[in-house]
Amino acid sequence: MQEKILVIMNTVLDNRTKEKLTSITPEMHLRNDIGFDSLDLAELTVRIEAEYDIDIFEDGIVNTVGEILQKLENK
Amino acid sequence: MSIFLKDIDNERLVNWDFLIDDINNTSIYNPYCKSADYYTVFKHIILSLLIDEEIILLDSDFTESELINLTGHSDFAEFIKPVDKSTVPILGNRKELIEKLSNPSENWKITLYTSGTTGIPKKVSHDFKSITRFVKVSERNEKNIWGFAYNPTHMAGIQVFFQALLNGNSIIRLFGLDTKEIYTEITNNGITNISATPTFYRLLLPCNETFPSVKRITSGGEKFNKNTFKQMNQVFPNAKITNVYASTEAGTLFASQNDIFSVRPEYESLIHFENNELLIHSSLMGRTETKIDDWYNTGDVIEIVSKNPMKFRFVNRKSEMINVGGYKVNPLEVEEAILALTGIKNVHVYSKSNSVLGNIICCEVVANSNQITESSIRTFLQSKIQEFKIPRIIRFVDELSTTRTGKLKRN
Repeated sequence: MQEKILVIMNTVLDNRTKEKLTSITPEMHLRNDIGFDSLDLAELTVRIEAEYDIDIFEDGIVNTVGEILQKLENK
Repeated sequence: MSIFLKDIDNERLVNWDFLIDDINNTSIYNPYCKSADYYTVFKHIILSLLIDEEIILLDSDFTESELINLTGHSDFAEFIKPVDKSTVPILGNRKELIEKLSNPSENWKITLYTSGTTGIPKKVSHDFKSITRFVKVSERNEKNIWGFAYNPTHMAGIQVFFQALLNGNSIIRLFGLDTKEIYTEITNNGITNISATPTFYRLLLPCNETFPSVKRITSGGEKFNKNTFKQMNQVFPNAKITNVYASTEAGTLFASQNDIFSVRPEYESLIHFENNELLIHSSLMGRTETKIDDWYNTGDVIEIVSKNPMKFRFVNRKSEMINVGGYKVNPLEVEEAILALTGIKNVHVYSKSNSVLGNIICCEVVANSNQITESSIRTFLQSKIQEFKIPRIIRFVDELSTTRTGKLKRN
């Protein structure tokens, strides 16, 4: 699943001509480490929802890669 | 030292004395102002008032083709003119500056551009009275420190700017900073007032700390969700939270402590409801190029809660404008931009509701060339329209989905 999330994140980054990631770790902060802004986070949630049928930001903004993975695992 | 503006993104820390010296020493003026530097924009607005010239604010991220569409020019160097020093008084201090600014000539106007409903953004001008209608100058506000959380060339940002300016307050930029920086700026500068969109507040949450310096929080531009409201109360325990209704055409009109708005007695005769839509009287409006009748239909659908006193709640917007985190996007303008790319046969731009931004822009594209890819569309649009208008989800289809009446579906 982590691999798939990496692919989705790279699609979002690439769409804004931002630098792609080679790997992700649970500690990584979506905004401070990866550099997502609100437009990117909005796109990220749509793409993850299309894949996993869950809106990761439904109950408020999550901050790290680990929090996303946890939401998807608890589904 | 008394701060006029702190903007860490542009590495600016400007005190009032520096501002006054800088204005006293400025010898040229250009009515067109397009800059990503907040100080440049603010100084420009102040100078325009002092020399009694129109100021035209352009978003710093407008593309060349947007500029040509809007103004007929892509370069504004030819509009630079000297400042007539004989008519401008040399200012001594902050008090003198504010006094001078509080009594401007009736000819002064500020012009900005807003997404029009017809596909082309439209020009809206305000005079001093209409732009500062809701500014409250009082001793109580003298010590306020503003967290500036809007684009400085948009209506909401200009209103916050005037509220801070005319009270001689400090402005601390928060817009566009990351969450950590925003919280650091609030604490380090003892920010007391913040006005922002619900999206801005949503992105600050969740947060385990509290920020007692903040006394007043204003939110406007889109619906404020109850959950966000509750969390905000915990993070800012001393803040009174207010919702406002505002538009570029009219500025701030109503304020409320929850989602029910009441009408102040002096405005009762200037607003009017027809088929549950909100109409406002032309005397409350800025000047637009298109002539408006006595009553302007805002396109906002309301539900009346009580008639006497008049209280109402906003239900939704009838117009097709898409609200992306407080920015209004006209789907027709985006469609027009995409259709300009060779190889695009047809396109349909629509919104999808989104937990981060309220809505995001999506589109369906019918291409008649296999050269067209998602990234070729994006690259093309980056030179045509502002970033927040570019669809985040692009789907390639053989034909567009339409409604039974043959109209394109927007939702």
